[in-house]
Amino acid sequence: MHNSNLTLHKTIVYGISGLLFIPIFATLLYSFSSSWGATILPDGFSLKWYSQLLTDPRFLDAFGRSLFICIASLLLAMVLVLPMIFVIFYYYPALDKVMNILILLPFAVPPVVSSVGLLQLYADSSIQLVGTPWILIGTYFTIALPFMYRAISNSFTTINLRDLVDAAHLLGASTTKAYLLIILPNLKKGLLASAFLSFSFLLGEFVFANILVGTRYETLQIYLYNMRQTSGHFTSALVMTYFAFIFVCTWLATRFSRGNQ
Amino acid sequence: MITTKPIEAAHGNVNTIKAASINSTKGKPTFKAKLGKYKPVLWLIPFIVFYYLFQIAPMVWVLVNSFLYEGEWTLENYSEIIDSAFILQGFSNSLWIAFWSSLVGLALAAILVSSLRHLDSKIRDAIVAFTNMSSNFAGVPLAFAFIIILGTNGAVTLLLRQWGILGDFDLYSSSGLLVLYIYFQIPLGALLLYPAFDALKKDAYEASMLLGANSRQYWMKIGLPILSPALLGTFIILFANAIGAYASVYALTSGNYNMVTIRIASLVSGDLFLEPNLAAAISALLMLLLAIITAVNQWLISRSYHA
Amino acid sequence: MSYVKVSQLAKSFGDVNVFQDINFEIEKGEFITLLGPSGCGKSTLLRCIAGLNQVDNGELWVDGENITDVSPQQREIGMVFQSYALFPNMTVEDNVAFGLKMKGISKSEARTEVKKMIDLVELDGKEKFYPSELSGGQRQRVALARALVVKPRILLLDEPLSALDAKIRKSLRQQILNIQRELNLTTVFVTHDQEEAMLLSDRIFLMDQGSIVQQGKPEEIYTKPVNEFVASFMGHYNLIEADTANQWFNLASQEKVAIRPESIYIREAGRQYGEHISAPMPATIVSHQLLGNVIRYNVKVEENELTVDLLNRSSERLMAKGSSLELMFNLNEIQPVRA
Repeated sequence: MHNSNLTLHKTIVYGISGLLFIPIFATLLYSFSSSWGATILPDGFSLKWYSQLLTDPRFLDAFGRSLFICIASLLLAMVLVLPMIFVIFYYYPALDKVMNILILLPFAVPPVVSSVGLLQLYADSSIQLVGTPWILIGTYFTIALPFMYRAISNSFTTINLRDLVDAAHLLGASTTKAYLLIILPNLKKGLLASAFLSFSFLLGEFVFANILVGTRYETLQIYLYNMRQTSGHFTSALVMTYFAFIFVCTWLATRFSRGNQ
Repeated sequence: MITTKPIEAAHGNVNTIKAASINSTKGKPTFKAKLGKYKPVLWLIPFIVFYYLFQIAPMVWVLVNSFLYEGEWTLENYSEIIDSAFILQGFSNSLWIAFWSSLVGLALAAILVSSLRHLDSKIRDAIVAFTNMSSNFAGVPLAFAFIIILGTNGAVTLLLRQWGILGDFDLYSSSGLLVLYIYFQIPLGALLLYPAFDALKKDAYEASMLLGANSRQYWMKIGLPILSPALLGTFIILFANAIGAYASVYALTSGNYNMVTIRIASLVSGDLFLEPNLAAAISALLMLLLAIITAVNQWLISRSYHA
Repeated sequence: MSYVKVSQLAKSFGDVNVFQDINFEIEKGEFITLLGPSGCGKSTLLRCIAGLNQVDNGELWVDGENITDVSPQQREIGMVFQSYALFPNMTVEDNVAFGLKMKGISKSEARTEVKKMIDLVELDGKEKFYPSELSGGQRQRVALARALVVKPRILLLDEPLSALDAKIRKSLRQQILNIQRELNLTTVFVTHDQEEAMLLSDRIFLMDQGSIVQQGKPEEIYTKPVNEFVASFMGHYNLIEADTANQWFNLASQEKVAIRPESIYIREAGRQYGEHISAPMPATIVSHQLLGNVIRYNVKVEENELTVDLLNRSSERLMAKGSSLELMFNLNEIQPVRA
């Protein structure tokens, strides 16, 4: 490889990454600056925006609500997907093809479109759904589904499912025991990786939250949106706190998915 | 009159049908066994119920109700769309921004990924991790970050204005939105393209060099044809991502910029003039549009090189 | 009465007949090999013995008990899989202990049993290793220990050596045999490798297209093939049409005859042979291959091409293509075979 070529490649990579980094860095800078008026550089630095944010009970409530909804949706997704995927791979492997089409739908149908139907279907349901966290938990399950199905079915293809279950049967285990003691522990890494990945995705979800629930159950994203009129420094601190959280989640996701190989 | 032949030893080279001996769980066709055979299906039912309620049913509602107007089967909703210059503008704005942001985002992502492959693995891993993370920097937080740096009094705006190279750039106009959209398309495109570039083997490049091709010829004759299915596939995902996007434009312009998703949302959750069936018709057209683009794309992929 | 008795076993998947009318008996402590080409039904037969697949017809008796409808969990049959099927989330120790745990045996009691088995397969020191940290041969030994620890009534081995390289195969083969003898285990081994079958088995059941075509001691099957399939599968037999054979050897056979390459002699000048040797016939060398300790010649006698093996000794000088020579057949070794 020529040296000039390497320099060119480095310039391209650092250039584009740098462009991607500017908004993040600027927000970070903004969140730490005491004030930043119509000047190119901030006037001074302070942590006051963070202390203001972290002591705002409304923020803490919103954060708590978001955590609750995301964790509940992930648990729901796991409870629904784990037995389903075992049944498919062990008893009806041909259905895997059907599933691969079904898990594309949450991507192919824009959230705005889905929410039109959801809003009309469940607006007058006997159990109140619209405006409550429950409709979000159900909807977020469909968002987490593709991530989970892909990750777990990948784990399934790396183990020799039929032989493992057969071996467990011959050693006296029932199918349920074989699943719980042998198959499930082998899915742990794929499951965790996909859980953290979907978690960071769900935490950033705005469309469903805004249209289906709105301010009636203020989640983090809705709170963020409602704070748009307050100080830019405050919202920056908010964005950065959110981003730090996402950072941890994606880091955990890549860690687990790497360990999976 | 006489034929004899030595017969080859059969061991080791017989690779005939083994399928029948490996996979089957079918039992005796007794009643009990038949019943037991369908027991695993029970475990699929909770999943099917939830998937139906939150994925299929809303979609079906949209399709059905797009043809209903005041309780009657009609194309009224669709003709209303065609007659409304406002809704059509929403479609054309969305298409314009989705097309250009996908194209530019894809090009930049492709350049980033192809250059990335020449750097050593430590830097590569770090950059991949960074793009992975910044792909989550979208929607409302991204819009706010853009307001801070590129808004009327944003630091970058001031800096560029000082250098006199900003012209009439306005973050809240179509060009501003385009920059915002391109920003979130690049990391997504890079993540989708990264594995595809593994198909480009270094030895193919070296072989083409030895056969007298220059770098440009290599890319035109070998590199791009190998990558074309991945590039087309990524383009369609970016396009669908952009045309369905709602949060960033809503947060940036408070719903004042005319885009198709903004139109749909305002017809079901605005303060006045709720017209869910018209929203359903716009939604149905949006899905149809995505379906057509996907079909064209699949056709292009099927005509291109296959790995 | 025999320890294992199988009668009229049949199995099909939809329209495909996997095997039919399988009958055999096995004595306690016997090492049996199901030998046959891929797709002959041997693996499915093994899985039916294990109870992993149900049979359509027939009965399976072990130690005087009819186990045809007993679930695999209750059968007390151990099995070693070609893919090892070790539980990747468990250590060597936990893998071996699994069967005891399922039986509800206390941990302390299980521990001594597990230790004994791990020692038996010579894996002491590897107790805390995970399967991914072991070599192929070590993994297969863990699988063996895991199958044996529950004291199965029958041990089933499904091509356990085929995923291993040649050197490991040989040593593991010997180890399996030693353990089988030591524990007096009734064993059914499945393989497509006739050499492996010959070396290990007390008796071989040779399968073709879902039927057992010949059963007997390895040397019986090797020297007295009953039909063309067995002759071709068990060695490099020459097949000679009945007419030709009758003319050459003065027989009155209705069927083709088979003769192994090492039972044909190439005559050197002046050497005398015994009475069981046929009269010399003129022949020409077509080609030769060096197979290590054997030189394999393709020779032409009249219109027939035959394969002849000679031991690769320096006293036997290599004969060039086209050289003329004389062939003689060991008349005792000629086998009539059905088509």
